Amino acid sequence: MHYVALYWAVMARGGALDLEMTAIAVAISVVVGVLAAIGKLYGGKLLAAIITGYVEVIRGLPPILQLFIIYFGLSQFQINLSPFAAGLLWLILYGIGYAVEIFRAGIAAVAEGQGEAADALGMTRAQGLRRVILPQAWVIMLPSLMTFLVLQVKNTTLLYLVGVADIMYQARLGTSATEQPAIMYGMAAVAYLVINLTLSRLGGVLERRVEASR
Amino acid sequence: MSSDVAVDIQHLTKRFGPRTVFEDISLQVKRSEVVAIIGPSGAGKSTFIRCINYLHPFDEGRIRVLGRELVGGAAPPSKAVLREIRTHVGMAFQTFNLFPHLTALGNVMLGPMEAKRMPRAEAQDKAMALLTAVGLAERANAYPRRLSGGEQQRVAICRALAMDPEVMLFDEPTSMLDPEMVGEVLEAIRRLAGQGMTLILVTHEMMFAKEVANTVVVMADGRLVEQGPAREVLEHPQTDRARTFLNRVLKPLAAEGSPLAPVSLGGDHP
Repeated sequence: MHYVALYWAVMARGGALDLEMTAIAVAISVVVGVLAAIGKLYGGKLLAAIITGYVEVIRGLPPILQLFIIYFGLSQFQINLSPFAAGLLWLILYGIGYAVEIFRAGIAAVAEGQGEAADALGMTRAQGLRRVILPQAWVIMLPSLMTFLVLQVKNTTLLYLVGVADIMYQARLGTSATEQPAIMYGMAAVAYLVINLTLSRLGGVLERRVEASR
Repeated sequence: MSSDVAVDIQHLTKRFGPRTVFEDISLQVKRSEVVAIIGPSGAGKSTFIRCINYLHPFDEGRIRVLGRELVGGAAPPSKAVLREIRTHVGMAFQTFNLFPHLTALGNVMLGPMEAKRMPRAEAQDKAMALLTAVGLAERANAYPRRLSGGEQQRVAICRALAMDPEVMLFDEPTSMLDPEMVGEVLEAIRRLAGQGMTLILVTHEMMFAKEVANTVVVMADGRLVEQGPAREVLEHPQTDRARTFLNRVLKPLAAEGSPLAPVSLGGDHP
């Protein structure tokens, strides 16, 4: 068991890096996702087509290919991103592709009767979205957003392929050094479970809070 | 056009794709007039009333609301014109459409605070006064899901009135309510009519239309089939289509060929 003692600190550091990248990426993709969803719903046909095209590309391409295009592909054009920057950029671009659809569906679900009521009062679209539609859409979207958060944590496992020193990276490094794959990947599994189950629980608590306050 | 006309609708036609919802409808509503629009389901009544505040665009004709013009088939009016119209034309919906994340008071305060930039304290006083007038002062801090249907609709009416509208539109305000709650909502509308508000309402409450409305409009099959003073239209309809409709509505049992005697209606029916 001394392997566990030896490696738990680097695993924890890897986990912290995973969490940091996920947090930054999800925060940015949620903000951009809301704006893009609004653009898709209300911004006219051209903007809607561009956003739909983007979502289709992100969903249609394998994640690893997207990551490799950003890290290796761009380097051929003298755009040399660090592993961290490339990994983060991919998480953001990929996250936006998912967040747009979550928000579009959430806004559309609320907008019909509620949007009409806001319109009929003479509120602007921005006022209606901010005061009426988004506060309700958040509640509807909370479960999907939690699923999205956990998905992004899992997606960080791919980042070791471009050299980001995350949990997965440490587990592989540890495996080559110790020849103990069961212990190393077992520790990685525990680390991911701890992170994701904690997030799910927090999400559950949040959902119950929101439900109770309605 | 004389300035005592609040809403002037000329030759309005609305289509959804290939389907014509209604065609060539003209209607003038004077200030302080109460107009009830009746007719069978699917006649296009709700769509028609929603064109007046441009919740639905329309394909032909024009509407002049309080001096501002909406033209069918053209590009949508500017946002400024739309807001101008909507801040002066209030609406109550069949399904209430209260904002579920706000209290009754919050619902009534939101319009003035956002669309008119009214200070919070002033909006709150105004909202409280409106809720008190419909007997809901005690329910001010309740969320919509804690309110009965009748209470929700009264809050929705207050929400519209908080904007100080010159015209109120009611789209079947009582048709989603349990029968025992219809009265309290009709009472609120009746009081508005008494205060001289210009009202246009789509309704299935024939007795209420007869009592409160000056003018009754019968819509059927996407057309305006009859229009006139409320009592005349309801008691002595001139067209076959209006007569058929009124017979079905006012004597539902007899119309089904039931052996029961027709329900006594009062008035001077034969």
